Amino acid sequence: MIVRLWPRSLAARTALVLLLGLALVQVAGLTIHALDRVDVQRLAQARDVALRVVGLYRTVVALPVSEREAMLADLHRGPGISAEVSPRPPASDLPEMPPFLARLFRVNMNLVPIGGQPYRWQELHLFGGPDWHRIDVGLKTPDGEWLNVRIAVEPPRPWHSPGFLMAFLVMTAAAAGLILWAVRRLTAPVAILAAAAEALGRDVNAPPLPEDGPTEVATAAAAFNTMASRIRRFVQDRTELLTAIGHDLRTPITRLKLRAEFIDDEEQRAKIMADLEELEAMVSATLAFGRDVRSGEPVTSVDLVELLRTVLDEAGDARPEAAEALAYDGPAHLTVRVRSLSLKRALSNLIGNAVAYGGAARVRLLPPVDGMLTIEIEDDGPGIPPEELDRVFEPFHRGEPSRNRETGGMGLGLPIARNIMRAHGGDVALANRPQGGVKVTVTLPG
Amino acid sequence: MLRGMEQSPHILVIDDDRDIRELLGRFLEKHQIRVTAVRDAKEARRAWINGHYQLVVLDLMLPGESGLDLARWLRTQTDVPIVMLTAMGEETDRIIGLELGADDYVPKPFNPRELLARIRAVLRRAGDQDDHRHDPAARAYRFGGWSLEPARRRLLNPDSVEVPLTGGEYDLLVALVERANRVLTRDMLLDLLRGRQAGPFDRAIDVAISRLRRKLEDDGRNAQLIKTVRGGGYVLAATVERA
Repeated sequence: MIVRLWPRSLAARTALVLLLGLALVQVAGLTIHALDRVDVQRLAQARDVALRVVGLYRTVVALPVSEREAMLADLHRGPGISAEVSPRPPASDLPEMPPFLARLFRVNMNLVPIGGQPYRWQELHLFGGPDWHRIDVGLKTPDGEWLNVRIAVEPPRPWHSPGFLMAFLVMTAAAAGLILWAVRRLTAPVAILAAAAEALGRDVNAPPLPEDGPTEVATAAAAFNTMASRIRRFVQDRTELLTAIGHDLRTPITRLKLRAEFIDDEEQRAKIMADLEELEAMVSATLAFGRDVRSGEPVTSVDLVELLRTVLDEAGDARPEAAEALAYDGPAHLTVRVRSLSLKRALSNLIGNAVAYGGAARVRLLPPVDGMLTIEIEDDGPGIPPEELDRVFEPFHRGEPSRNRETGGMGLGLPIARNIMRAHGGDVALANRPQGGVKVTVTLPG
Repeated sequence: MLRGMEQSPHILVIDDDRDIRELLGRFLEKHQIRVTAVRDAKEARRAWINGHYQLVVLDLMLPGESGLDLARWLRTQTDVPIVMLTAMGEETDRIIGLELGADDYVPKPFNPRELLARIRAVLRRAGDQDDHRHDPAARAYRFGGWSLEPARRRLLNPDSVEVPLTGGEYDLLVALVERANRVLTRDMLLDLLRGRQAGPFDRAIDVAISRLRRKLEDDGRNAQLIKTVRGGGYVLAATVERA
């Protein structure tokens, strides 16, 4: 439950903390204000009580003792007030009034004129407790009699002001709006940073972050860009190393192929040649991976349908047993502007994979929609575990090892295909078909 | 007709790796080709001046003077056919080399038998065409609106759109185009595809021809461009312009 109340996003957390703090400050401020109100209310009540009690006293004290009772009965005293003359001080059920309040009443009562020193009361008793709904006052006249007044007072209601709740709500809402806006703005760079990290994970050549905004954000962006360029450098070094090894391997492979020609055992010779072809294919894949697709080859007009058919024909020639499971479906001609050798390599890798792992390659070419055409390649293989679907595009990532040993993959076919398609402004995606097998979806501007 | 192969041909191999020179020499000699092997452009020039060669196998990656420069120099001297050994994937080298007038290329690491097949094919073509081989560096062959560019190994349709070919289809089409209006026997075509194609060769020819016809939009049953000759052969029935 606590976990649920504590939101996950930084913006929401910050906003929540700020809002809680603000609400606390508001409550404190309003409490101080309310206590002030109570004081003011008490002062007003003290004045009112003083006026009325002293008024009664003044009337009563001027009369002879015998007439006082009747006078009190006749007097229009107003609501909530009762008075009696008594030989004793009031027998109140209320506690004695605390001194700070009693003082307030004494002062106010002293301020009401009573017509000279002889009339002044001898003693004053004040009762009224903290619950504050009634005050009992006892005044001893100079002749020893008591005027006991019982007066109802409105209890102070510090929170009862019509605008109070509204003000609180409006202030809180305004502050909340402001906080949410500001927090979103302040935490936006974190989201941008996260998106940039995500993009870097997908493509080391992702564009750098803008290094502006508040100092901390700019510093973080600069640090991120530095890190990205170091990663890029590292990847580039590794790729260059691989390319260099690939280049250097060509001479020994050539020598071995020549030496194999002098082996008399024809079966062994054929096997050695097959091994060397496999080795060569790996070197070739490494070199293709290290090469920048965008440089070197010019963009030309190519009939994509014939390209697909050619790739399918070559796949069928290489594996005559699968030739029946290769099919093309789509228009008879479609011209695209591409780097034809690169594109052919990408499609060869994808169709070759479908044949090698899925035993089939059904190719469907869908005409361009919104300037992007789609090539779908379906196979009948076991498919790819869902958690592997994106990882198979990582260089040197290989699926189940036993399968790869048979087919001699380097784990570069898919990354190369994706690099090439992305360099053309398209992409490659894999999905498992509900009926089984893999569907490769290639997009290409067309 | 196959004059190039009748007397054992002599070829010049230029490669900077000693083992490759030696092994390639032994391999080719095993197949009745005489070989002189040298390691760089300087030695190649000396050998060229002192000898007589029917073909040059040239590695483009040479120490010192580059293979391309040497090819350029050779072209100023002679029409001798050149088979280049190019670094795998170095498209620009290959294209420049073919544009300079090299006759074919084999990417390194090469399959020796494929290299042998290419050497023989180029030798045969050279012997075959002695009469009109004055301009060996054809940039393009044009026939019936189509255009075949050896330098880029590509076929362009009448709208200048590339129609991709497999390696075997390309070799076959080059052979047909270079000998337009002459019948090519199945044996000759088989020789061309050897070292390229896996599987049964004779079927491969028919398959490749039918694919070529499809790509050239030549109706298989009533072919106008690549005609079937009774008795087992094919002919490209078109006027070919060299450009």
